[in-house]
Amino acid sequence: MSTYDTFINKDFEELKEDELIEGVIRELTPGKKKYKSMYARFKVSKEPDKYPNRLFIRLGRGQLVQKPCSMEILEFINPFPEGV
Amino acid sequence: MSFRYYKDNREYIEALRKSGDLVDIHEEVHWDLELGAIIRRVCEKKAPAAFFHKITDYPNFRAFGAPIATYRRLAVALGLEPETPIPKIAEEYTRRTKGQPIKPKIIDKKDAPCKEVILLGEDADLFDLLAPMVHDGDGGRYIGTWHFVVAKDLDTDFVNWGMYRQMVYDEKTMVGPILPFSDMGKMLTKYAAKNLLMPFATVIGPDPLSAIASSAPSPIDEVDFAGMLMGEPVELVKCETSDLYVPAHAEIIIEGVIIPNVLLDEAPFGEYTGYRTSPRDKRGVYRVRAITMRKDPIMTVSNMGTPTDEGQLLRSFTLGLEMERLLRDQGIPITGVYMWPESTHHLVVVGVKPIYANIATQIGQLVFGSKLGPWFHMVVVVDEGTDIYNKDEVIHALCTKCHPKRGIRIEEHGVGTPLNPFASPEERLYGRAPKVIFDCLFPPEWPKSMVPIKVSFENVYPKEIQEKVLANWKKYGFPD
Ligand SMILES: Cc1cc2nc3c(=O)[nH]c(=O)nc-3n(C[C@H](O)[C@H](O)[C@H](O)COP(=O)(O)O)c2cc1C
Repeated sequence: MSTYDTFINKDFEELKEDELIEGVIRELTPGKKKYKSMYARFKVSKEPDKYPNRLFIRLGRGQLVQKPCSMEILEFINPFPEGV
Repeated sequence: MSFRYYKDNREYIEALRKSGDLVDIHEEVHWDLELGAIIRRVCEKKAPAAFFHKITDYPNFRAFGAPIATYRRLAVALGLEPETPIPKIAEEYTRRTKGQPIKPKIIDKKDAPCKEVILLGEDADLFDLLAPMVHDGDGGRYIGTWHFVVAKDLDTDFVNWGMYRQMVYDEKTMVGPILPFSDMGKMLTKYAAKNLLMPFATVIGPDPLSAIASSAPSPIDEVDFAGMLMGEPVELVKCETSDLYVPAHAEIIIEGVIIPNVLLDEAPFGEYTGYRTSPRDKRGVYRVRAITMRKDPIMTVSNMGTPTDEGQLLRSFTLGLEMERLLRDQGIPITGVYMWPESTHHLVVVGVKPIYANIATQIGQLVFGSKLGPWFHMVVVVDEGTDIYNKDEVIHALCTKCHPKRGIRIEEHGVGTPLNPFASPEERLYGRAPKVIFDCLFPPEWPKSMVPIKVSFENVYPKEIQEKVLANWKKYGFPD
């Protein structure tokens, strides 16, 4: 199980169960690459153990939601044009 | 003739150490929040700059925090005595930047310290650079906080240096706001129209005067402006992967291309207003192609937040002087302009000889109507008898001379920025901000006999009594 976080530009209550998000997740494993961003399609549950990865939610101005969620990564997406 | 100045970050650090304006921290400090927290406290306490010798995960790096967060440090950066009063620092800055622009000089790669290590292609990995997590809740690790970005216009020779924050996204990518009204934003629009990659070079740990030039609101090209502050040409060296030139004595250079028409999530980040106001949003994308640096690089970090940080101090200082230039050029009989860093450059204090009616309105309209108007929304106009640098005197004038109705003039439809904490979400979105003028002048048309008299030591005692009291002050038993 890996731990990630993501930012949502809305209130936590507005996040739906099993909401599908296409956006940035950040890896929180300690070390030199902590906070590396990845663009992905992922499904979020407010139940901490429903999916294989732990996900913390932060609101648009950085406020941390203390209660962890869980997440399944469906696919990683390359946001950059070919060859750049 | 060159002025007294420091050619690189290291000479400047040494000067601060000598003047007592720097603390060496030998204790190991973690890049993940601890380093940021120390610098934040330095800013809030107006303490000496922090120099970190040992940082977790990055044994070959040192870090320099809060490089110019006090006027003492600004004085040192300009080669002046640390206790030089603000008006004298302003005088020196104005004197140096009045003459002819000084063009840079190109030097050989072998003489450029920023080329001691050259990492190209796969070897150029941003996670090998010490990018701190500055505040808890930031959108990422900010590598560009005391730095500038070099870019060249597509159709002309114009080269811009601008201090625009940059966040690490992944090994090869940085993201950051490129505001459409900034010089680089205007350049990028041209590249984007043709879908061309725009070369950039990020200069981390520049010498202090180049850093000041990159964040100053002057119409002169920043590299020439830095030369004027130094009194001699800035030494530049060519990039490895583009035709851009960068200061040879900087600590770290990140080269690459800005991808037009692609945006990725950036922020939130502590901003110069002392808040995180602009949300996480899609912003400009910088792809990295090379990193060049010194063998033992020093990462420079400015920690934006509640006063006083570099954004507040330097921008207040340079915006105020630019407003002074504008008002003098227009022939307004001003005695000076000052912006307190604690106002996060939102408040402009103007001293004037009130020789005709409504002069305060004219001043307010001029400064709000200028190119720099979006950065502030309050103008306080006081007479020549008020010391604009003295908060007590300005508050006294504001609370006694500004009529609560006639003296406050509001313009509802001003240009603002998305960073204004007071603005509604809608106003932020469209960059709107109301503006307010506080007229602290007694109207010149009032009959002389009706004008209140200021009861101060300087105003209500004859000269000879004042001189006698001053001469005997210590003799009376007062310490100072
Ligand atoms: C420490 C510091 C950080 C800054 N960060 C930003 C930033 O992220 N974005 C920005 O547009 N301006 C930022 N500024 C202000 C610009 O450097 C300033 O507006 C500069 O003159 C850019 O000029 P331009 O508007 O002509 O491009 C910062 C200034 C300082 C001192």
